Amino acid sequence: MILASPTKPYHGARRRWRAALRWFVLVSAVALAWPLRSDSVTSVLLPALSPFVGICSALATRAVGVISLFALPVIALAAVFPRWFCHYACPAGLLQELLERFHPAVAPVSSRVPPVGKWLVAVALGGACIGNPLFLWLDPLALFNGFLTSWRGPLVAMNLVAGLGLPLLLLFNVFFPRVWCQRLCPLGASQELLAWPRQRLRRAAGGSNAVTRELQGPLVARRMFLGGCAGVAGVLALNLARGGTPSPLRPPGALGETQFTGVCLRCGNCAQACPARIIHPDFGASGVAGFLSPVLRFDSDYCHEDCYRCGQVCPSGALERLPLERKSLHLIGMATVNLDTCLLVNGRECTACIRACPYAALSVQSADGGFLNEPVVDRAKCNGCGACEAVCPVRPERSIRVSPHGSQ
Amino acid sequence: METRLSRRDLLRLLSAAGLGAAFSRHAVADEVGIAPVAATVPENKLIPTPDGPRYPAQWIGGKVIQPERPLTVVNETDVLVVGGGPAGFAAVVASARAGAKTTLVERYGYFGGQWTGGLVLLVISSHARENGQLVKVLRGIGDELLERLTRIDGAVVNQAPGKFNPTSDPEATKFMMDEMIREAGVKVFLHCWVADVVMDGPVIRGVVFESKAGRQAILAKIVVDATGDGDVFAAAGAEHERRLHAIGLVHRVGNADRADRTRLAEAGVKSLGSVEPLSSVKWVNLRGPSTDCLDVGELTRLEMEHRRAIWNRVQQLRKKPGGEELFLLQTAPQLGVRMSRLLTGTHQLTYAEAREGKKFADTIAVGGAQNGQHRGWPIPYGVMLPKKLDNLLAAGRCVCVDEKLIEDSRLIASCLTTGHAAGAAAALAIQTGCRPREVEIARLQKLLLSQGAYLG
Ligand SMILES: Cc1cc2nc3c(=O)[nH]c(=O)nc-3n(C[C@H](O)[C@H](O)[C@H](O)COP(=O)(O)OP(=O)(O)OC[C@H]3O[C@@H](n4cnc5c(N)ncnc54)[C@H](O)[C@@H]3O)c2cc1C
Ligand code: SF4
Repeated sequence: MILASPTKPYHGARRRWRAALRWFVLVSAVALAWPLRSDSVTSVLLPALSPFVGICSALATRAVGVISLFALPVIALAAVFPRWFCHYACPAGLLQELLERFHPAVAPVSSRVPPVGKWLVAVALGGACIGNPLFLWLDPLALFNGFLTSWRGPLVAMNLVAGLGLPLLLLFNVFFPRVWCQRLCPLGASQELLAWPRQRLRRAAGGSNAVTRELQGPLVARRMFLGGCAGVAGVLALNLARGGTPSPLRPPGALGETQFTGVCLRCGNCAQACPARIIHPDFGASGVAGFLSPVLRFDSDYCHEDCYRCGQVCPSGALERLPLERKSLHLIGMATVNLDTCLLVNGRECTACIRACPYAALSVQSADGGFLNEPVVDRAKCNGCGACEAVCPVRPERSIRVSPHGSQ
Repeated sequence: METRLSRRDLLRLLSAAGLGAAFSRHAVADEVGIAPVAATVPENKLIPTPDGPRYPAQWIGGKVIQPERPLTVVNETDVLVVGGGPAGFAAVVASARAGAKTTLVERYGYFGGQWTGGLVLLVISSHARENGQLVKVLRGIGDELLERLTRIDGAVVNQAPGKFNPTSDPEATKFMMDEMIREAGVKVFLHCWVADVVMDGPVIRGVVFESKAGRQAILAKIVVDATGDGDVFAAAGAEHERRLHAIGLVHRVGNADRADRTRLAEAGVKSLGSVEPLSSVKWVNLRGPSTDCLDVGELTRLEMEHRRAIWNRVQQLRKKPGGEELFLLQTAPQLGVRMSRLLTGTHQLTYAEAREGKKFADTIAVGGAQNGQHRGWPIPYGVMLPKKLDNLLAAGRCVCVDEKLIEDSRLIASCLTTGHAAGAAAALAIQTGCRPREVEIARLQKLLLSQGAYLG
């Protein structure tokens, strides 16, 4: 029993109905994240239901994509029935509740914890206004989805990272029951904020005495304002810290670096969907802001010219849903050749990179009567897909490497 | 076994150095099928000019007409291999060892083709990476040759466990090829240029070649085209494609060990060339312009232009501080032709298939990676079988692959292994009395494995 005020317990048919719905959502969530067809993109749906994700990413990207429309019904429900989603649908909440059965004795401490979740939402909205919602990755649906998808593929680091969120959340719940749902969860908090206008009106109609502290307009407004300012300041500080460092290599269709690090949920969907397995979690290249966000590595494969799956499974719009024709126009980076180590430059019969390039952006340039040869990159054609880097036989550092735009 | 071989190697080395010359010349000549040179034949002795009818070309009605004429058949054999490059060498040894009567015709005076005559000394793609491990894919006859070279001081480098892409000395390689071909009991015709084929409907019956003795023929049950340029399958009318490619000319620089590398580097010379077993010598690759190697005008032009460029280059090196003692040791006897004709086989192996490491039921060899960095690529038997013609196989750089894979399939290691497979297949076809395309794949693979080949 979660978040239900003690005065309004669930009884009889309503209780059964609620239980059935919650289990249905849990099973559907698993099925969506774990579809039978490996090329299915349903894993995008669950996190997209979240109003927190939907609103913040729409604000940050200044765009309302098809995916963000999935959040609309939940927004509507939340406005009318406070925390409807928590009560009737949230699979992360259900899991926590199930675990709680094993620790019925622990006393809830939530009342002593400040409403962090609401602050998080305020900060995220503020950050989103200038492109970086900062805390989107804390959305429980993203954590839940990440956990499920992480089991689908081989144990690549990205999957492990994406899969860790939910177990940590559950573990936290074991020690501090209900604190997450009631005080920390930004999804829960955003539902409460959405419900605020209607609740405030109803209470006002019923007499001002009934207005609890949490519902007082000035308090809510102050929190939103301060939180929002903190978000803006945080994002500005992050940008400043990043300075001119070029963004790392991101999957095709990625938003601008600042927006991307914020809008990305770290849900692992893209890494999971990528047949080439080139998407890895970042442990530092993109700074604190980009911690654990997906970066590309072309060690053994490249971004296939006939694939655009990562964009299709991104629930937050951090990766644009590009159709194939536009995906190949999206430039990932630019290839550069290290003339000191390149085999061709050193008189060897190597044209591996030239043959591998799907965009015909590489060719042999000869000089000195054919004694000097080197692979040259046609910058107008190079997509940065990494096919060249993946096949270059030189070790440990490849002689041809894709580097982010602005770094050459 | 090992000591016996080494002793024999030693003997050959001694004989090559002029010691015990009479004995060894005799022995080699005997097995190679050339009349032994009797020590007592006086120089300048008058010998009879062969007579009989002559058939010079005729100037008839403004055209040069070749009159019809019967040709002398100088040899009849089971398996005839044309071209003694890496592919042809491995093919004859495999075929003869499998028990087939085997003959080899080579236009120049030595074996090894581009490897020795082209001075392309680095055997690239000898290894691949399987499950993170370096695996040797160049096994069997080619590897045996390199292993035997390790027993001669200064004959090969990087032929050792954990190493890949060996470089061998060209003379040591020629010498060891002679040895292995002779030991296998192959009938050899050097200085014989195959100019045409003998056809019996859709079936090849042998070849016609030119030499100082004129135009003669060899009859064979199965012919393996290891000319690199597909001269035989083209003459036989097999479907094929022609491509242009860069033609270079390799040269070697001597006294590399006496050059002052630091001063040369200061003068902008980073490298003198590629490593050789002899530290005093470096071989220098040249890519050259892309052109048609079947156009003799182009071959002539490039041979002379390249040689001039090489001469000038080495002279410039000598003028640089630290490079005074360098000299042009040699330009390659053979122009560096990379590719020309490619057979249209029953299977065109593609770059995509190779990168994917696609497996085939009829795998007869496995190609390697430039630096052993990626997995091996199985090569199916179909790349060497012409679509329609019978009793003909192709091996080496002219097998059926797409334009991207040619850059891998033409490397020496791949040519050695496809050559080995073609020789074994031809011998098995003879043994079982079938056409090469009907050879039982399981038996062929068993034979190849028994000859040390690697099939994945
Ligand atoms: C400049 C250059 C650099 C290269 N560098 C490397 C390298 O570093 N590493 C590597 O592994 N590979 C390299 N290669 C490729 C490799 O050397 C060749 O592709 C390989 O030797 C081909 O072997 P093959 O037996 O198929 O043909 P070839 O080596 O060409 O041998 C064909 C043989 O057939 C003979 N022949 C041809 N026509 C006739 C005829 N009509 N009658 C009789 N005999 C005939 C020729 O004389 C020759 O001996 C290089 C090639 C070139 C040109
Ligand atoms: S693959 Fe690497 S070594 Fe080969 S040509 Fe390209 S850059 Fe040079």
